[in-house]
Amino acid sequence: MSTSAPIAITGMGAISAIGEDVPSNYRSLRISRHGIGPIRHLDTPHRGRLLVGEINMSNEELVEQLGIPAGEAYTRSTLLALLAAAEATMGIDLNDGSRTGLISATTVGGMDATERYYEDYLNSETHRHYIPTHPCGYSTEQMARHLGVTDFVTTISTACSSAANAIMLGARMIKAGLLDRVIVGGTDCLSRFTINGFNSLMIYTDGHCRPFDEHRNGLNLGEAAAYLVLERAELVTRQTKTPLAYLSGYGHANDAFHQTASSEDGEGAYLAMKHALEVAELDAGAISYVNAHGTATPNNDLAEGQALLRVFGAPESIPSFSSTKAFTGHTLAAAGAIEAVFSILALQHQEVFANLNFSQPITALGIVPQTTLLPMQINHVLSNSFGFGGNCSSLLFSTAHD
Amino acid sequence: MSELTQELKAKIIVQLNLEDLTIADLDDHTPLFGDGLGLDSIDALELIVMLDKSYGIKLSDPKEGRKVFETIQTMADFIEANRT
Amino acid sequence: MIKPIYIHGKGAISIQPTTEPGYFFDSILPYTQNPIPAHDPDYKALIPPLQLRRMNKSMRMAIFASQLALREANRTTVDAVITGSGLGCLRDSERFVESLLADEGQPLNPTPFIQSTHNMAAAAIALALKCNGYNMTYVNNANSFESALLDGVVYLSEHPDHTILLGAVDELGERTTEFWNIAEYLKQDRPAVPTPLAAAASPGEIAAEGSTFFVASRQPGPSTTGKVTAVETTLETDNPASFVNQFLQKNGLSTGAIDAVLLGYNGDSRYDDIYRGVSQALFAGIPCVGFKHVLGEYDTVIAAAMALALQLLREQRIPTALQLSGPQPKELARLLIYTQRRGRNHGLILVER
Repeated sequence: MSTSAPIAITGMGAISAIGEDVPSNYRSLRISRHGIGPIRHLDTPHRGRLLVGEINMSNEELVEQLGIPAGEAYTRSTLLALLAAAEATMGIDLNDGSRTGLISATTVGGMDATERYYEDYLNSETHRHYIPTHPCGYSTEQMARHLGVTDFVTTISTACSSAANAIMLGARMIKAGLLDRVIVGGTDCLSRFTINGFNSLMIYTDGHCRPFDEHRNGLNLGEAAAYLVLERAELVTRQTKTPLAYLSGYGHANDAFHQTASSEDGEGAYLAMKHALEVAELDAGAISYVNAHGTATPNNDLAEGQALLRVFGAPESIPSFSSTKAFTGHTLAAAGAIEAVFSILALQHQEVFANLNFSQPITALGIVPQTTLLPMQINHVLSNSFGFGGNCSSLLFSTAHD
Repeated sequence: MSELTQELKAKIIVQLNLEDLTIADLDDHTPLFGDGLGLDSIDALELIVMLDKSYGIKLSDPKEGRKVFETIQTMADFIEANRT
Repeated sequence: MIKPIYIHGKGAISIQPTTEPGYFFDSILPYTQNPIPAHDPDYKALIPPLQLRRMNKSMRMAIFASQLALREANRTTVDAVITGSGLGCLRDSERFVESLLADEGQPLNPTPFIQSTHNMAAAAIALALKCNGYNMTYVNNANSFESALLDGVVYLSEHPDHTILLGAVDELGERTTEFWNIAEYLKQDRPAVPTPLAAAASPGEIAAEGSTFFVASRQPGPSTTGKVTAVETTLETDNPASFVNQFLQKNGLSTGAIDAVLLGYNGDSRYDDIYRGVSQALFAGIPCVGFKHVLGEYDTVIAAAMALALQLLREQRIPTALQLSGPQPKELARLLIYTQRRGRNHGLILVER
């Protein structure tokens, strides 16, 4: 079985702190306009202190935009997912007889509702219709109903690598002959749970995150939803469509080092990137851009940087790389998907996006990210997503243009 | 001083879920991390929370913890010097 | 296309003493409470104290069950770990929510936050085995294990010489159980295990917990107890019997090819009829085996049903307490498991000798 047959990407949708659809996300990337700022919509004592990548729409506004009947229980993660999935599937007939699947990823699930109504559920009937929304799988169920997907529906939750894993599973199921088309991606909204969680780990910066900088001291959280539509390449050619890009490689490994910290030599990250190159049957030299995981925690950027050196050989051999988390914040389960969209935008527009807030390279590594928008020829992009539990995933996207 | 070390040992056992250990099992000078007791970075964070909640001492940088938490004795010394 | 996978070892923790060697449901522990926590084995026997101290129940059950499976398969490690869990590490999620509701703005203990991450059980197994391989967690309500199983089948067709751990875990949560009571999921009136089923059923589920793990690969081996030849799910269907029948046809089978069917009757009168409909339409005269009336209900209980199916294949008899209807089987070679939960998440697994 050929593992090198690429998978075509025929649709994408995204909503994040830097844009409410793919074109507006691109415009922000292009002019290096980030979306990190004070918390506006979430009600927490950390408002006024911690900065986030918040989408500037209230839940009521999201509900209105989607035309959802009042009184139905939809958590914020699901609302964001529905918008992004609608954009991704626009113009695609999901009822054309092809076997179509939906693989979504989330870590927050319905926790934003659960934390809001935790006491309220016991004392009043008003919000009890939100009780079923807590589990991760529920959000996917609602998406499947909205999109009319019935052939295969599932949910992955592996912390920050979740959406990358969803994309990978989709590709594998197409290659295994189980599906013809699959909507893949992830969603996570901001929540007190995650903000307090990362703060308790002392890896939440009190300013703007500084990926790959020697003086980085933590991440900013963000919220986002992003989805891709993957299809078997022959199907696409038969319909004489040009895909947006190809998913030509993917790799996954477990660091097996510690529950939350990455190993110093970035073993899991290294293996994931290596596998992605192997599946794509490409040498490291073919990669022109790495969209790094780059959360700006002391631990991740060091480990990821080490892994980059191991994959590419020497600092001067590492291709242009940047973390876009200084634009969007760390969007947890959505990160792999929003950054997949950014990787595809990089291929479409032949531009490397900036790694913001950088001034000094990590002394132990001596590697320098791309700090400004850089037009260049890009044929292949590597996108990294590494999560708690040592869960490391890497996706390789290739241009659809000759 | 030894009252504080006893108190610390009791708190550590509870905070870090060291179910099988008693106060008598914990020596004042055994390294808590690495080869001694074998605690890890998550334990260090828990100890930082304990320093704040029980003794009013705030450590803003987890790296500061490394020296403070070397042994029960170093913890006790640090608390004596800085408690509010 | 997808080929069968062989199971070489299994381990199960449940509300019955399923960790005891040789246990085959000939005696059933009765209960009159709801929810029912899993029967804890001696975790210290298989998990070192320094690791055990921080593990929540999900992680303990998963590590223990996976260790049992590895022992039975005569292995100390695997190439990949694929798991499913409907709700992940629920108690630590509750603990962290409660701490932030009480103390947000004060320093919060990080451990429950870390432990609440849904893939922590799979991560704990990877750490224990030092396994750098593929490590995946499905959190997809009552089709979580089926998704893990399907991924396992696809993974092994991509890596035919690998061996993997496949499993599931779900734990009860205190506050969540109260929410479930409010949402009327649970049986309030005279809960019992064994749970009265079908005609004697009443509204509501018996909430339980457990973990089941399997060691699987593409080749049969000396400790192989059976193979999984097909797995399928559908979120919703107007016609469960048709869903089941199409599944059989897709796999080239008539209903007569099934020697016994394991159905997920759980004593919830609102949904047990679904099984009766399927049974009457397709499996009249075929031995019918229940499992939820002794194991309770949780999102990944189908994994325990798969372990039971493998035991049935080995023992070639159906324990009295589990046979719900139909004749004594002449031979048990091909078993079908069908379950759903609250009218959704229909799952099918085909297990053969």
